[in-house]
Amino acid sequence: MSLFIDTVLRLAGWLLLAPLIPGVINKVKAWVAGRRGPPVFQLYYDLAKLWRKGVVLSHVVSPMHVAGVAVGWVALVGAAMLLPLGEGGLAFRGDAILFVYLLAVARFCTALAALDTGSAFEGMGAAREVSYAVLAEVAVITGLVALAVESGSLSLSTMLTPSPGAGVALLGAGLFIVLLAENCRVPFDDPNTHLELTMVHEVMVLDHSGPPLAAVLHGASLKLLIFSVLLAEAVLPLGAMPAWAAAAALAGAVLAIAIGVGLVESFLARFAFRRVPLLLTTAFLLCLFALLTAWKGSEFGVTESSVAERGAPAAEPFFGWRP
Amino acid sequence: MSTSILLLTAGLAAALSVAGAFKAPRLWLSFVLVAAMASLAAAVGTLAGGGVWELQSGWTIGGERVHFRLDGLSAFFLALLAVIGGTGAVYSQEYWTDAAHPRSAGPGRAWWSAMLTSMGMVLLCANGLHFLIAWELFAVTAFFLITLERRWREVRDAGWLYLGASHAGSLCLFGFFAMLAVRTGSWDLGPMRDRPELAPLFWLALAGFGLKAGLFPLHIWLPSAHANAPSHVSAILSGVAIKMGVYGLVRFSGWLPVPEAGGWVVAVLGVVSAVLGVAFALGQHDLKRLLAYHSVENVGIILIGLGFAMIAAHHGHPAWGALALAGGLLHVWNHGLFKGLLFLGAGSVLHATGTREMSRLGGLWKAMPWTAGCFGLGAAAISALPPLNGFVSEWLVYLGLFDAVNAHDTVAWLAIPAIVLLAMTGALALACFVKVCGIVFLGVPRSRAAESAHECGWRMRGAMLLLSGLCVAIGLVPVVFWPAVQRAVVEWRAVEAGVEAPLMALAGCNVVFAVLAAGAGAALWWHVTRRGIRRAPTWDCGYAAPTARMQYTAGSFAGIITEWFAWILQPARHRRAPEGVFPALARQDEHTPETVLEKVVQPAGSVVMTLSTAVRRLQHGRIQSYIVYLLLGLLVLSVLVFAWASSGSR
Repeated sequence: MSLFIDTVLRLAGWLLLAPLIPGVINKVKAWVAGRRGPPVFQLYYDLAKLWRKGVVLSHVVSPMHVAGVAVGWVALVGAAMLLPLGEGGLAFRGDAILFVYLLAVARFCTALAALDTGSAFEGMGAAREVSYAVLAEVAVITGLVALAVESGSLSLSTMLTPSPGAGVALLGAGLFIVLLAENCRVPFDDPNTHLELTMVHEVMVLDHSGPPLAAVLHGASLKLLIFSVLLAEAVLPLGAMPAWAAAAALAGAVLAIAIGVGLVESFLARFAFRRVPLLLTTAFLLCLFALLTAWKGSEFGVTESSVAERGAPAAEPFFGWRP
Repeated sequence: MSTSILLLTAGLAAALSVAGAFKAPRLWLSFVLVAAMASLAAAVGTLAGGGVWELQSGWTIGGERVHFRLDGLSAFFLALLAVIGGTGAVYSQEYWTDAAHPRSAGPGRAWWSAMLTSMGMVLLCANGLHFLIAWELFAVTAFFLITLERRWREVRDAGWLYLGASHAGSLCLFGFFAMLAVRTGSWDLGPMRDRPELAPLFWLALAGFGLKAGLFPLHIWLPSAHANAPSHVSAILSGVAIKMGVYGLVRFSGWLPVPEAGGWVVAVLGVVSAVLGVAFALGQHDLKRLLAYHSVENVGIILIGLGFAMIAAHHGHPAWGALALAGGLLHVWNHGLFKGLLFLGAGSVLHATGTREMSRLGGLWKAMPWTAGCFGLGAAAISALPPLNGFVSEWLVYLGLFDAVNAHDTVAWLAIPAIVLLAMTGALALACFVKVCGIVFLGVPRSRAAESAHECGWRMRGAMLLLSGLCVAIGLVPVVFWPAVQRAVVEWRAVEAGVEAPLMALAGCNVVFAVLAAGAGAALWWHVTRRGIRRAPTWDCGYAAPTARMQYTAGSFAGIITEWFAWILQPARHRRAPEGVFPALARQDEHTPETVLEKVVQPAGSVVMTLSTAVRRLQHGRIQSYIVYLLLGLLVLSVLVFAWASSGSR
């Protein structure tokens, strides 16, 4: 029974808090620009309004256009539930990979729903989405390998809790760039623009309306929260703190990330599309160096402990310096 | 005992089916199905029971005693053969009918039975000579199936290319088995892991079986053969026939000692095949050719698993090797199922529209909802999306690779790039299948042919639904199929490595996700339809009269990624830019050639041909010159002999 209550509470937390993040980002952008800006809860009002509205569908679309939105949303919720929040929760060896591929399910559904309309613009958006995701996914998995090496585990709950090693700044920077790319924020995409040719995410959902659009918007905010929590947990040593301090630190970090996204959007312009792969490759390289740092760090650990246990020198490093 | 009866039944039914192939298609189908069921039962019995069935009879073929053997590994492949063979037979009844193909339908059925039998023989034979005979029969029957429609030039070309490549592989295998027989003194096959001097033979096996499996630089025959064969043949070629190459690699890397570098080479080739296979697939405009390149990709994923298992064998069999092999082997089944399904779906599209060209298709979901649904499911499965089967096997491979990294051994220097590139492969495959599904089944029809498409009948539909069901089943309850995989892994090198994976937890997640996704989809659809839906044209920047030609195309969709891979794809671009104040016709098209074939193999071949032509000038029919050749030859010989004799006497 407690498991059930625990699950429901987590679910409610994710679903209810997610729309807050875009609100915070917009507020920050408004402050920087000297405006008052929309209320922080604006997305909640929008979602409530959209859910009650009717739907306009293209003549062309299949039922997949609506059902795919729901499947993608469920995939994002599933990915969120895999992220550890304190004790308990769903965790098993290899859930990190399930996490990455659930995000891929969401992408598959969104991109197919975009192509369903037969619109050239939405095709462009879908093509950009799936292409840039290749580099983003590579960066994320490299980051996960770094965490796996750091913790010696392949379960998010143990990967994300220990105190991070020396590569934490590199990993944090890499994952932050991925966060911006995956959530289609500046400098990869401009969520404010209404010029279809220059958008990625917004252009894919041009033909959605009413409740499906509400699901898309909620899913997007959930994805932003997922990446924020992932980044915060990867960087902060939450496992070493008491529960209340960990919760406070996590909340503070997510808020800081939202503010950071807002500041980036205020001070940076959108990049030309041809420079996007370059930036994503940078993210990959940052994660790769984080991985190498973690590797070297863990090699010291292994060498010391294995010498103590086995009384024999550990395997020679393939190349590089030895302690 | 019962295995013998089942296999005998299967053999008899397959032989009888050939008799019915020409005149009685229904009889043929029932015999093929009996054969498939019987061999499936034998395979399942062996996988569940865990024993090894052997039969050594007094009969001899070619001076060698007949020796059959069915163990966990061969039974694993036999099960796949039975499922795809039976399903493809049902499908072909409607797809390749006597009415539509009066000349080739009958022979097609006969060759189908012959090919299934010869592949079964390859799996059963435990004698090198008989293995070679079965292998050759299998290669030749596949040639006749590929060229069923040989009145088209491209079909004949594809067939010849296949036959040539296949025999280059067979040549390596002749060398492999002959040298094995010479060194062991017998043609009998079986475990001989304690003879380290046999290890170098592995390279011959890698070339021979690798050609059949379609490893990256050796895949040259694969795309055109898969594209030009009838679709049920493509399904079995991709689903089972190339797996025979994988079977050979797994079998003989398990039975024989392998060189230390063997595992590294296999794993590197696997990674290269995986990434470049999908990169080439993205550049294709032909639906079946695209699917064929995905076979290269998936064989790559399978071989990553095998390669790491072979590396592990040299490190004292740690658990990560067993996990990687388990993932690779499960991917053999999974790829057989979803690629079979995708080729059958592509065949259904071809049947309905008469074209494989993606730029002429579109909007087919309306006319063929069953095909679209099944193809979409197969696309999600091959993109390794949970909760389907492709994800389960790739997840196992990932687990093995991550554990290899955490072993902190030299192997990590290969495991880390393999993980990163496997993730890249997954994302590229997703991009490719979004393209295929979106361009072929969604949007608006791009041609008259696509407009007048029709759904296929119940037999084609049933075959696709069966394979879809299996894809879902392995995804949702992998625990049921897991013992079979474990059996095959243990059989590989007879090491009782505990293959532990938290499959129960994964299966639970998959089931919950599937139920919730279906529920949420239905709920949202209900919520939307409750208030009524207003229909309007697609939003095109305010333009109110969009046409089918304004849709995004397959080439543009993949353009961003193919640009990244242009260094290897070497795309051919033809561009006629608009000129002048009132530009006339302007066009741009781009296609990806068979780069390895056209830029490497064919130039090499033409060099050989030029040299041969030059040498041929010596033969011109003038008798005087021939006498001069003779005299010159004699002179050279006598000089040599004298020189040798004088050096010998000194």
